[in-house]
Amino acid sequence: MEVTMDPLFLAWSYFRRRKLQQCSEICSKILQDSPYDQAAWSLKTQALTEMVYIDEIEVDQEGIAEMMLDENAIAQVARPGTSLRLPGTSHGGGPTPAVRPMTQSGRPITGFVRPNTQSGRPGTMEQAIKTPRTASTARPVTSASGRFIRLGTASMLTNPEGPFINLSRLNMSRYSQKPNLSRTLFEYILHHENDVKNFFFHLQALDLAALATEQAQFKDWWWKVQLGKCYYRLGLYREAEKQFRSALSHQEMVDTYLYLAKLYQRLDQPITALNLFKHGLDHFPGEVTLLTGIARIHEEMNNMASATEYYKEVLKQDNTHVEAIACIGSNHFYSDQPEIALRFYRRLLQMGVYNCQLYNNLGLCCFYAQQYDMTLSSFERALALVANDEEQADVWYNIGQVALGIGDLTLAYQCFKLTLAFSNDHAEAYNNLAVLELRKGRVEQSKAFLQTAATLSPHMYEPHYNLSILSEKIGDLQSSYMAAQKSEDAFPEHVDTQQVLVQLRQHFAAL
Amino acid sequence: MSEWSGDDGKWLDAHYDPVAGLRTFTSCMALADLSGDGDGRLVVADLGGGASAASMKLKVYGGTALSSESVLLDLPCGLVAFFMDLHEPRIPAVAVASGPCVYVYKNLRPYFKFTLPGLDVNTLEQDVWQEARDGHIDPPAIKEMLESLRKKADIPLSVRSLHFLSLDDEHLEDFVQLHKQQPIKRQTVITCMGTLKKSTADEDGVSCLVIGTESAHLYVLDPEAFVILAKVALPAPPTMLDVTGQFDVEFRITAACRNGNIYILRRDLDKPKYCVELSSHPVGLVRVGKNMVVGTTDQNLQGFTQKGKKLWKVVLPAPICTMASMDLPARGFHGVLVGLANCEVHLYKDKNLVSTIKTPDAVTAICFGRYGREDGTLITTLKGGGLVVKILKRTVEFQDRDSTPGPPAAQSIRLNVPKKTKLYVDQTLRERENGTAMHRAFQMDLIRLRLAAAKAYAKALESSLTPVSSGSGRSLKMNAVVQGLGPSFKLTLNIQNTAACRPILNLAVSFLYDQSLYRMRNPFLKIPLLVPGLVYPVQTLVECTSDKGISDIIKVFVLHEEQSTPLLTAHINMPVSEGIN
Repeated sequence: MEVTMDPLFLAWSYFRRRKLQQCSEICSKILQDSPYDQAAWSLKTQALTEMVYIDEIEVDQEGIAEMMLDENAIAQVARPGTSLRLPGTSHGGGPTPAVRPMTQSGRPITGFVRPNTQSGRPGTMEQAIKTPRTASTARPVTSASGRFIRLGTASMLTNPEGPFINLSRLNMSRYSQKPNLSRTLFEYILHHENDVKNFFFHLQALDLAALATEQAQFKDWWWKVQLGKCYYRLGLYREAEKQFRSALSHQEMVDTYLYLAKLYQRLDQPITALNLFKHGLDHFPGEVTLLTGIARIHEEMNNMASATEYYKEVLKQDNTHVEAIACIGSNHFYSDQPEIALRFYRRLLQMGVYNCQLYNNLGLCCFYAQQYDMTLSSFERALALVANDEEQADVWYNIGQVALGIGDLTLAYQCFKLTLAFSNDHAEAYNNLAVLELRKGRVEQSKAFLQTAATLSPHMYEPHYNLSILSEKIGDLQSSYMAAQKSEDAFPEHVDTQQVLVQLRQHFAAL
Repeated sequence: MSEWSGDDGKWLDAHYDPVAGLRTFTSCMALADLSGDGDGRLVVADLGGGASAASMKLKVYGGTALSSESVLLDLPCGLVAFFMDLHEPRIPAVAVASGPCVYVYKNLRPYFKFTLPGLDVNTLEQDVWQEARDGHIDPPAIKEMLESLRKKADIPLSVRSLHFLSLDDEHLEDFVQLHKQQPIKRQTVITCMGTLKKSTADEDGVSCLVIGTESAHLYVLDPEAFVILAKVALPAPPTMLDVTGQFDVEFRITAACRNGNIYILRRDLDKPKYCVELSSHPVGLVRVGKNMVVGTTDQNLQGFTQKGKKLWKVVLPAPICTMASMDLPARGFHGVLVGLANCEVHLYKDKNLVSTIKTPDAVTAICFGRYGREDGTLITTLKGGGLVVKILKRTVEFQDRDSTPGPPAAQSIRLNVPKKTKLYVDQTLRERENGTAMHRAFQMDLIRLRLAAAKAYAKALESSLTPVSSGSGRSLKMNAVVQGLGPSFKLTLNIQNTAACRPILNLAVSFLYDQSLYRMRNPFLKIPLLVPGLVYPVQTLVECTSDKGISDIIKVFVLHEEQSTPLLTAHINMPVSEGIN
């Protein structure tokens, strides 16, 4: 005889094993038999929430509306070192763009792609709506931010017969009096119904949180944090700050610190966020997430030395922290110590990170650390592991760099052409191809490539500089001067550009 | 005061009016005691904002306020204050040069207008117009004759003939009717103006006007009768003048000319005595004692003797905007004020920088002298129309030495060169020991990789995957940009013919896409003739019809009419549509 397990217990077990779909199905069955079973209802709510849960502590993507129409910006021209929005205001003596490539917003590229690392603030609307190299990462998203909308629709697809809870009919004040139900309900509203089209639900969540806080006589830190989250989502940052601060005074929590710091970063107050993290570290010494937060802010403010310090601190606490290892590795690579970077990337490999980017980096590190026997096999593996055209383009581009390094120009030419075949708007490849074309004596081709590279990524100084040299050689001094000026805008400290400019000015002044 | 008033403690801020609205140059500004009461006034010929004649004014400032202004008829090019007679009280007249005329003001009222004598007219040209007046020839014939005159004649044509030649055929008749009665004249314009003492070297002695013209002549005018006392021809039109001495005794005129040379003239000579050939165009000419200081467009300040020998040269940090002399006879100080494009005014005594004044904007005009009751007043106007008045401190000491210190600051900065790590040393050891094996492995990998790359390249070429084509005599390049947030995107294809000189005809663009996801307004586009070197943007709108938040690749083909395979192919990764549809 088969022993049947109590269905609720089975559902609970499924939930713990994160088989959320099965859990929700069993709960639905229980609810069909007894619609007022609060335990089953609560469990199903939680299961549905877990399915679409994302960690909100991670810095989220800034929408295009928030970037272009920002009314929280206090100073348009911030003092150096106090703002995340002026990428040029570095004071940590970070690497120059001649050594470490820059993103479109003028920050050195990081070793670890996370939301917000690529974006930065576009200068103009046109720049903001243009699709850059990798449409999936570098582009600012709308406030109907890519993730939320996708997750929201996913939940719709799983419930073809309609939503599980009809929120518009709920009596919020009744639910707010039942603490065991109100929390799961709140999380459900916040995470499951978080489509921006459902702006109304945010207000409802806010309502519920406000009522529940009142019920708890303004003493429950959890509800205050939730209230803060709601305000944050609605863009009411100052109100959110108040709630988080008040929650912190009741109960010190790492989460609350992270939320508050995220909020300060959104308000462009990196120094306040840093102080907050340090304050948090007093209460939670050695907390990895806080340390990572500090390191990220330093990195975004171009203060690479401090960022590396904190990433090292992170590794002391948690020696398998992928982000820290990757960032330290890339920093070593760009500060002319590829052999140390190689160590870090090998560590990542040992930890089981096994993807195209890692092999790509390993290949480059091996080449520059003069471990030639491993170089090309790494690239071969990277090519075998590519997931999309963008990655393939990047690998071919790096092979092209290696080919340039060993002087095999035919191979380099082919590699850059392949890069362009896979990624039509790879400005670096256009630039390098132009130089190769010029060596072959095809001036028109070369000029066309350089112009394309310059329009594709105006933040790079190389195409402008090369165009300037080329124009000067063929005697077009006016174009040369204009290109040199653009190069100077992109990289003011570039000595060669300055020399070209001085030379041209002498030319113009001479009789 | 705000941070721009950094002036090494030698100057006092007297007045700053950022909205004075003065647009003028050093040659159109002078300090003079216009009321005879010992108070220096500032006389400015304001060029006004833009070309409208109403805003060109002669302005007089006293103290901190504008005390009078009167309208000027034409764009001024020079302004001097000079004594034209011996009447008491000693009040100087103001001469404003504009166009071919000098307008003389006394007590700020128009007093006299002197017009330069007309130039010789080409006799053949005169004959042509004579014929026209008599009605012997028709306008097309006039045009033809004038055209041939313009090409070969030594004396250039008059303004009227030049205007006539520039007209369309239908307007010729009217023009002839309108103008044929008047005799033709050839008029030149004034380019610069200076003053020259007549017979005494006194401060308030009677002065002659010295005028430089576009026809490359210098005229010296008698101050009382306004007749021409002397006329000298120069090799090129003068742009700046510096005059010293007395007309009746001995004088010296230094003229910087448009051909980049400086000519030095002396009395009793009808051609220049010395010539200084500069390496670039002069922007300022100032005499200090017996030497002259010239600023040039290549950011140099050079000193010359009065015989044209070069004494020294200083390289300035920014291009020169304007220059003026600074004379303090009471202290025996003679210097040169140089307004620079980096918003600074430098004071040089010989070749030594003795003072630096920061201004809120680039300086357009500088003037130093007696203003009000203060002898050492510096007046500058700014690019944005501001007026700055500064007073030299009476206790100030100018050091003769150069105030800029010796070695540049960059010399003492240490470079941050990363040290070679122990790891690196270990790795080089490994390299040394297993050199042969490593090289073999690398070479083998390299050959394999070359093969892989060549295969991939061949595949890409076969399917015309690359956005660059160079085969079959047509070299084309394309790149695509997607703009927009969705559901509507704008797809821009930038197509360029990279061939040296051959245009390309009969091209078309077509797209391959998932029709359930995207809708395209123009899935087939014809491309016009492609001129080499130009970028042709081809645009179309793409609409995403799905609201599932998914995206796809759109393939673009550039086709030629006679060919079944595409010339170029590009894959466009469409962004996710984020609009709410």
